[in-house]
Amino acid sequence: MIRVLLADDHAIVLEGLRALLDGEPDIKVAAWTTDGTEVVKLVEQHKPDVVVLDLELTSIKGTEVIAALRDRTTPPKVLVLTAYNDGESLRSALDAGAEGLALKTESPQQTLTAIRQVHAGQLVFPQAARRWIEGRAGGSAPGDLTPREREVWALVAGGLTNPQIAERLGLSDNTVKFHVQHLFSKLGVKNRTEAALKYAHGR
Amino acid sequence: MTEVRDAEARAASRRLLATSERELQRIVLDMHDGPVQDIFAALSQLQVLERALAADPTAAQRARQAVRLLERALGEIRNFIGAFRPPGFERRELGQIIEGLAVQHETLTEQAVELELPGELGDCALPTKIAIYRILQEALANGHRHSGATRQRVSVERRGVSIALTVSDDGRGFEPQRVLAREEDVGVEGGHFGLRGIQDRVEMLGGTFTLESAPGQGTSLTVALPAE
Repeated sequence: MIRVLLADDHAIVLEGLRALLDGEPDIKVAAWTTDGTEVVKLVEQHKPDVVVLDLELTSIKGTEVIAALRDRTTPPKVLVLTAYNDGESLRSALDAGAEGLALKTESPQQTLTAIRQVHAGQLVFPQAARRWIEGRAGGSAPGDLTPREREVWALVAGGLTNPQIAERLGLSDNTVKFHVQHLFSKLGVKNRTEAALKYAHGR
Repeated sequence: MTEVRDAEARAASRRLLATSERELQRIVLDMHDGPVQDIFAALSQLQVLERALAADPTAAQRARQAVRLLERALGEIRNFIGAFRPPGFERRELGQIIEGLAVQHETLTEQAVELELPGELGDCALPTKIAIYRILQEALANGHRHSGATRQRVSVERRGVSIALTVSDDGRGFEPQRVLAREEDVGVEGGHFGLRGIQDRVEMLGGTFTLESAPGQGTSLTVALPAE
């Protein structure tokens, strides 16, 4: 069961999406809000797997909400929902570290598909944006990664959190954090999304 | 005396460019806050309804038709917003805005954009930034519609006190004089301001415009605008 939290300024959008998602056997809407400042608290309470977040919130910047969620030990996947499919929106969503982007100017069915995809660990962005990130991050991976860093990279790309990676590799959380920091700086990326994209396309 | 008047006219033109961008922003915002949210929400509800009507094929069929119509309406709004929404002109530097536009073009058209951007490009005055963005947008759209090329090349560089933008392709090319004359006669359709519009924007800012093209020879457009 995929537990979803919906955050959107527009009550009618929430109502529509809730009705649509509730009809799906594998999805449950755990919570919803029209107030962006409530999102972090609600995530704390309901621990959803996926947060569907309007990027154009009025009460708080959508990118700030994503950043706050990223700081959690087990961050939920974030699917940005926006009306704008231009470079500006893509860039904001990617820079903030969202796992995907769905459009309000596409069928809501597409949002439904994207929720399942980000939950499964996929990154849902247009192909052009991936190439863009690769170019910006400076092409292929540097050769000076340690074997441990390569291992960590593969797990980050697989969508695992630091505690999950620690458990998998039999390391402490702090050691993993240390490896992840070094990995990011060697790869020249800002967050897990970029590291994962680079893994998928560069290596 | 003429010089003073020229400078005043130029300053007025620069203000006008920024004002028209603000108006566009307002229109796009109204579309975003109103119809987009309503249609998206209506589609969600209709899709629930369509499922509930599974036992009644005729009714389900009508619901599906309504879904298709609304999806088409949303698609039109998507194209409109994509073309007109100004990027963060005041927040983003010139290079970032151009990068964003290249990504957007590739996403919408699946035509590749080869981008050449020097790392030390820096920023430029707002009217120039707006003009470069709108000119590039128009040139990419033209290159996609008419050139038949699979990719376009874009380069932006600083040349002394100017910013120079070059957009080129190795597509089928055309006769510049004929296209410019035709645009003069019929105006430009569908929100596209055409080559004539590119020329006008360049003139307003006191820049230069160079167009090289011939049938079978590809196309190269270069504009240079004052950086400050």
